Amino acid sequence: MGSPRHSLDGLRPLTEDELSEWEEAYAAVEAYLQALRLRNRLLVAELVRGILWRASARRVDEPEKPARLLAMEEALMEVAEWTQDVLDVPLENRRLAARGRLALLLAGMPDKWQGVFLTPAPWPPAFVEAMKKSYLAAGPRFAALTMVPKPLELNAIGSGAAQWWETMDRKPITRIMFTGALLAIITLIAWFIFLG
Amino acid sequence: METPDLSPPDSGKLFFSRFRTVVRRTLFFGSIVIVNLAATLWLADLFWRMGFQKAHFPLLAVFIVLNGLLVLGSFHAIFGALDMLTGRKRAVRITRLAEGKSGPLAKRHAVVMPVYNEDSVKVCARIEAIYRSIEATGHLDSFDFFILSDTRDLDLWVLEETAWTNLCRRLGGFGRIYYRRRKTNENRKAGNIGDFVRTWGGGYEAMLVLDADSLMDGADIVKMARVMEDYPRLGIIQTPPKLIRGSSVFTRLQQFAMRLYGPLFIRGLNYWQLGGGSYWGHNALIRLKPFSEYCELPALPGREPFGGRILSHDFVEAALMVAEGWEVWLAWDIEGTYEEAPPTLADHLIRDRRWMQGNLQHLWLIFARKLPFPTRMHLFMGIMAYLGSPLWFLFLLLGTWIAWDRFSSSLSQLPFESYVDRWFGFNGVEQSLVLTAFIFLLLFLPKMLAVSRAILVPSIRRSFGGLLPILAGSFLETLVSMLLAPCIMAAHTLMVLSIFLGRAVGWNTQNRETDGTSWGDAIRFHAFPTLLGAAWTALAVNISPVFAAWMSPILLGLLLSAPVSVWTSRARYGKALARHKILSTPEELKPPDVILLADGATAAVDPALDGSAASRRGVIAAVVDPYVNGVHVSLLEQSELSDVDEALAERCLALGPSGVSKNELSELLYLAPAMLLMHRAVWLRPVEGIHSVWTQAVESYRRRLDQTPPPGST
Repeated sequence: MGSPRHSLDGLRPLTEDELSEWEEAYAAVEAYLQALRLRNRLLVAELVRGILWRASARRVDEPEKPARLLAMEEALMEVAEWTQDVLDVPLENRRLAARGRLALLLAGMPDKWQGVFLTPAPWPPAFVEAMKKSYLAAGPRFAALTMVPKPLELNAIGSGAAQWWETMDRKPITRIMFTGALLAIITLIAWFIFLG
Repeated sequence: METPDLSPPDSGKLFFSRFRTVVRRTLFFGSIVIVNLAATLWLADLFWRMGFQKAHFPLLAVFIVLNGLLVLGSFHAIFGALDMLTGRKRAVRITRLAEGKSGPLAKRHAVVMPVYNEDSVKVCARIEAIYRSIEATGHLDSFDFFILSDTRDLDLWVLEETAWTNLCRRLGGFGRIYYRRRKTNENRKAGNIGDFVRTWGGGYEAMLVLDADSLMDGADIVKMARVMEDYPRLGIIQTPPKLIRGSSVFTRLQQFAMRLYGPLFIRGLNYWQLGGGSYWGHNALIRLKPFSEYCELPALPGREPFGGRILSHDFVEAALMVAEGWEVWLAWDIEGTYEEAPPTLADHLIRDRRWMQGNLQHLWLIFARKLPFPTRMHLFMGIMAYLGSPLWFLFLLLGTWIAWDRFSSSLSQLPFESYVDRWFGFNGVEQSLVLTAFIFLLLFLPKMLAVSRAILVPSIRRSFGGLLPILAGSFLETLVSMLLAPCIMAAHTLMVLSIFLGRAVGWNTQNRETDGTSWGDAIRFHAFPTLLGAAWTALAVNISPVFAAWMSPILLGLLLSAPVSVWTSRARYGKALARHKILSTPEELKPPDVILLADGATAAVDPALDGSAASRRGVIAAVVDPYVNGVHVSLLEQSELSDVDEALAERCLALGPSGVSKNELSELLYLAPAMLLMHRAVWLRPVEGIHSVWTQAVESYRRRLDQTPPPGST
């Protein structure tokens, strides 16, 4: 968090470009914290301020990096490191950063624990416990059964029909000839019944 | 997890004795054959009297089949009524079998709901209601719940994940309610269920299969599970679901008819099928071991539409179980079992197209070895439910041709000798009137029996809102059914033709709610029956006004297809009828607890985890939102990001989700490192570096927090 001891005396005049750049950085960090569903405006303002202070400090050494990038890197790092501390597991890769965010959600952070968000230890034991047991499982332990299709046993008529059907599927000319013959027979019967 | 104790069917005693089964089936089908033969001979005698023509042969042949189906339907209701009246309720009564048993269930059971591009909030609301309903019985520990997704829409996939996570958060359901999405939806719903069985089926004694619109009462589920545990020979318990939540006139007509007339048919069906019942695809409890052993469906000879993968898997699965000696029961007395119906005639017909292809594939199974008689009957009835339409169409065509032939040849009737005249003393007109009256009796007797029962039994009468609503509802239902029948006949005939021409059907999402069919859609959709009706009317009037009058119910139905379709699709007319309790059902007038639970279920909706906001819906939320991204990534398997994948992710960032193909986007959504990379990028990079869809989504969080809707609101 930003230190309250920062004096306004140290402020220097900023150019229009700088103002615009830091405004974008401010907006991004604020949006991210709001995306984490932090509702308290004072808390959000405090956190944004602190993160921007850190970003501005880094800017001295990394002048080529845009303010927004620096600020958001600080924000993401702050959240990742803090959840790592709470969970007490190393967040070695980015996937575990997602695990940290998930833990925040499942622990009920948006509703219950805003006051402790990004604060240093010690944290309320209930909060730590809720964070640690937060996980998602798409299914229980595998308990497989085998399913093997058994071929359809057809009787004599069915087998004959199946053989004929598959032959027609394989040989389009046979199919056309059969369809033609069938239509001719139907026409003949119709002629015999209705006109003959 | 303990391995279930599974008993082979031979170890259990048959619930129904073979003697009783044979007697009942002989009586039921024997009566149908006798009545059908008598009616056919009566008609043949009439034709003989009129002067037999060659065209009478096919007419008579079609009549035997059509009248047989009519008698079959009516006799279900008649035997059902007799079964009710004689009070012989031994035929599978789950409530009685489960009576007096209150201890914990011995085995574990799964509740599975396959979903395909559904509204995830509603799906989760149904799961929540069933969960709470089982919880209220104190047997929740014996059940696990599975949402088995085959959803192809990527946005809906993300919404399912967030809805499920919220549901589990609110209910404390982690480790009890599970969500799984298949990457490829091979073999559709049967494949989805099969995948569950292969992966987790060994952990459970039975699975309760639901549809995405199913709802079941927890106490009834527990009763079914108890009975399943007690009767080791039992393979499937199928419940008869009641239709609920109808708002359009069409749905209300369906749910009223099923609720009022349905019990008679269900009892009649149960009268003869006994342990050889069928499975209707959902709202059924299935023993897993025999299901896994026998119900992996074989491919049929040839290609679709007649061959290939079996579409209507449920009938076949029951058939395979029964063929192996397992019993399939129809739990007619289970009350708390519900589903929803398509909202309009057009949606109903679209669903019918899919079901029809599936049922016509069953033609192969009629020739399968080992299948017992009731199974073949179920398959036959399923096939004829659709082939009956073209046969009816053919019957009407032949009748029209004979009328035209007589008219154009100006032949007078010759005094041929007739048996009916000799034995009963009827003249030709009387003979045809008797046959007509008989047909009408067969058509309307089930309705008359059901309405009489509803009027005479006070509890049923009150449950439908009283005498007047029952009479008005059944009159309206009869009238509209008569108008709809010819349109459905014409539509089914076209569908059968298209299937015979080799056109296979796809797997479309079922429409469960709509604001009604527009006039333009209705005219396009029902163009064939309307034009057919116009041509047929002209021909009938040309033949003779008397013939046109005889044909008028059919012709009117065809001509009015589009207006009736539009009128019945309107929810506002349905609501107007509901205000007067017309077409109301007991579940509408006094909703059962589980329906109220589903109505009030909101656990799946939480603004803290929301993938449905307008500016960041679905896939966009999965990339941008820290929590939605966290949930999505946590559900993915471990994977590495290749250079190709990274390039694809960069392209998606630069061009937006619409700038890559659906398959590419799907691949990205399956890659955890890519989703994390994109999440970081949309927050870190300046506006110029990425597509506006991402920056707008990021910007959308920058609003005053007091605009955030309260938890639980939608």
